[in-house]
Amino acid sequence: MWVVVAGLATLIVYPLVFDMPFHQHIVIVSLLYGTLGTAWNILGGYTGQVSIGHGVYYGVGAYTAAYFFTVHDLSPWLTWPIAMALAALTAFAIGMPTFRLRGHYFVLASVFIAESAYIIVSNWEAVGAGIGLEYPIHKSENFSQALWVAQFHQSKLPYYYAILALFLASLFVSWRIQFMPLGYYLKAVREEQDAAQSLGVDVRRYKMVALLISVFFTCLCGIFYAQYVLYVEPFSTVSLIISVEIAFIAVLGGIGTLWGPVLGAFVIIPTTEFLRVYFSGHMALDQSALADGGVWAYIEYYLAGGGGNVDLMFYGLLIMLIARFQPNGVLGFFRKIV
Amino acid sequence: MEKLLVTTGIDKHFGGIQACKGVDITVAEGEIVGLIGPNGAGKTTLFNLITGFEKPDAGRIEFAGFDITGMRPDQLNRLGIGRTFQMLKPFPRMTVEENVMVGALIRHGKVGLARERARHCIDLVGLEHKREALGRELSTGQRKRLEMARAMATEPRLLLLDEITGGVDQPSIGGLIQLVGRLRDEGTTLLVIEHNMRVIMELAEKVVFLHLGAKMAEGKPNTVANHPDVMKLYLGSHHA
Repeated sequence: MWVVVAGLATLIVYPLVFDMPFHQHIVIVSLLYGTLGTAWNILGGYTGQVSIGHGVYYGVGAYTAAYFFTVHDLSPWLTWPIAMALAALTAFAIGMPTFRLRGHYFVLASVFIAESAYIIVSNWEAVGAGIGLEYPIHKSENFSQALWVAQFHQSKLPYYYAILALFLASLFVSWRIQFMPLGYYLKAVREEQDAAQSLGVDVRRYKMVALLISVFFTCLCGIFYAQYVLYVEPFSTVSLIISVEIAFIAVLGGIGTLWGPVLGAFVIIPTTEFLRVYFSGHMALDQSALADGGVWAYIEYYLAGGGGNVDLMFYGLLIMLIARFQPNGVLGFFRKIV
Repeated sequence: MEKLLVTTGIDKHFGGIQACKGVDITVAEGEIVGLIGPNGAGKTTLFNLITGFEKPDAGRIEFAGFDITGMRPDQLNRLGIGRTFQMLKPFPRMTVEENVMVGALIRHGKVGLARERARHCIDLVGLEHKREALGRELSTGQRKRLEMARAMATEPRLLLLDEITGGVDQPSIGGLIQLVGRLRDEGTTLLVIEHNMRVIMELAEKVVFLHLGAKMAEGKPNTVANHPDVMKLYLGSHHA
């Protein structure tokens, strides 16, 4: 309990103490992924329906907000219900057929759908195809104007507290579900589908309920991301990598637990963000500087492999370590030492 | 007595195997009916058809006067049909209490009430000392009791028990027989698959004998046990 209060207090005060944009950025992204992981965990952890396709719902949120702002000049405050409705429709369209599948077949179906969505979006001219949608920068004269267009160029604080609120809301829902009849049904579906059904649990209905709750937060995260980065393109929203990352956060942290996804996000995101920034810095080197730097400069240069791949190598290493030493996720490790 | 369950001309085949051939059975409200027959006779298939896990190729199933053919297991449970599984299916990472609560929640809808109801059922099957144990930590006998407690928690009008004494130690069988008798006395109708003839003889008002998917005999336990075809199958041809 005290740990929770202390953690919450730290999160509230943090951006006031650490006022460098990069430090704030790292926690913003951690909170974003903490929310995504928590939302994913309601479907993948509690209900046992492992989806490697949540990037689709994230993308629906991001693209809807970006599309209506860039093309029709509409504030996300007006268009978020449209994003939600589209995400819910997508969830129904994907969930209805795939929830008939069990175990690995469901996982595979989610991968195929995510990859198809990526290919479609990458070729869809109306949403910028492979290039994506870039927000027009809106110069606001005061805070309420900035709030209306949800663009803040002077400070990251509004973004920080917005994603913190979303994060806490998702965490609250994830916590509360465990003590509701719904929580028992979801776990029963995960543990033994036939038995659940023989006890009167409408399996497909509750899978859908779990998916919709999960999609609700995932879609909001997508909208947040679009407003934060002000640039939406396929690779960083609907790609398979994003879908995999969302699932990894929960799996590496501790699948099916309340704190697993939170821990996962706050371990993985800061590490990968540092790695990315550190190594992509070396990408600016020209060839002569590289030669002067000796062997290590070359190693670092190739490690970076285009500036954004070291974090993926880190994921790979982490998966190997976790699978070998801590199959129940990082949370299991913390439980052992506490 | 009012007929609670009536199946008429149930056919079911899996590939080339005819698992049920025109099976007609009737279970009256308040009675215990035993379903016996050698392995592969189609007993569990018949259970799966009645509880909606399989759909019949032909025939009709009525429950309390309604045609329930083709309905889903969860719908049938809500109508009042409960079952246990021969291949035990506990929720492995949930405690015994949580396992049973899932069944109770469907009826009661409130967590507190469901917990109370679940504890009552756990006490009835004699698992109170294992309430906090996880489903996967139970022995086979304990899992059978858990199956029963869970099904009982849904408060079924008709309860289908699939070999609840199989794999249970001899001393415990008496307790299970008592429990089934008590459920009947409280108003539950039971259809019971059993290999243990002691259970059938002590409890069942009526016995249905299945062989290769077809009903071969039906009647009082003693009559069926002495039926020439049944004797032949169970004891060998020279006894007939």
